[in-house]
Amino acid sequence: MSDAELADTPPTHDHYATLEQQAAAVKIALAIFLASEALLFTGIFALVVAYQSDWPHAFQIGIAHNTKVLGSINTGVLLISSTLVAVAVDAQRAGRRVLAGSLTLATAVLGIVFLVIKMTEYAQHFSEGIYPGGRGHFFLEHPEHGLPTFWSLYYLATGLHAVHVTVGTGILVYRGIRVFKGSLQHSLEASALYWHFVDVVWIFLWPIFYLA
Amino acid sequence: MTGAKTKLASGSALIALAILSFGLSYAHLGHASIGVAFLIAAFKAMIVGAVFMEIGREKASFKLALLAGALLLATLLGFVASDVRMRDPPPLPPPATEPARGI
Repeated sequence: MSDAELADTPPTHDHYATLEQQAAAVKIALAIFLASEALLFTGIFALVVAYQSDWPHAFQIGIAHNTKVLGSINTGVLLISSTLVAVAVDAQRAGRRVLAGSLTLATAVLGIVFLVIKMTEYAQHFSEGIYPGGRGHFFLEHPEHGLPTFWSLYYLATGLHAVHVTVGTGILVYRGIRVFKGSLQHSLEASALYWHFVDVVWIFLWPIFYLA
Repeated sequence: MTGAKTKLASGSALIALAILSFGLSYAHLGHASIGVAFLIAAFKAMIVGAVFMEIGREKASFKLALLAGALLLATLLGFVASDVRMRDPPPLPPPATEPARGI
């Protein structure tokens, strides 16, 4: 890091000797956190795969009734948002603070767009009588065994993912504002890494619940 | 900002792959459809990991933490796969009138 950058950034926390040491500690902690998060989501993926092997027909019906277009639009939204925050990291490295902050906030806006679309999807499911736990008139009209399991897993996985998107959006809003003021480079990198992880989770959720 | 150009190109590739997945979902590939969808998803995840997350540029300690996570994931998926392959078919008949309950 150059002298100009050091003068322009907040100091390290007391228990770190250098910024590099602080950045390395943040990255290691984040890697362990992301690995544990990956295990959590993989547990859910494993459940889906196991139940799908038991009730393939029910899962086909579930996917056929899902909001494929809205889910696919959300895929595009997350992929674009991930690209923007990745470019924001490069912009900050190049010293283009305004561009980096703007791209980070644009990423957060796309996070909000994702959540609005997700809520729209849930509203549509509720209007069709599809509730978690096999409740609702949809399951009276479609008494296929395994169908309630599909929708319960759908709500569990996408709901948990939506919580992560909400947290990530909040982090990006905070980080975007801080970048304008001269935030540490590794702080934006850490926020971006978390957002990319959220994107990767959706990359796998999308085919499981909307396409396969 | 040469890195930014690479990232924008990768973003375009990710969108193209997503469109490919969407298109293939109408191709009626049967049992292969889930495999193809996962293959494309894995490729997309690799692009995100390599280009956006820049895992290759990170320190060895960061990679080690991710590697440990990956090994645990492989163990979990391996046990699930063996369970699915070896267990008996589910003995649950379809319900007559009452709607089935979820998990």
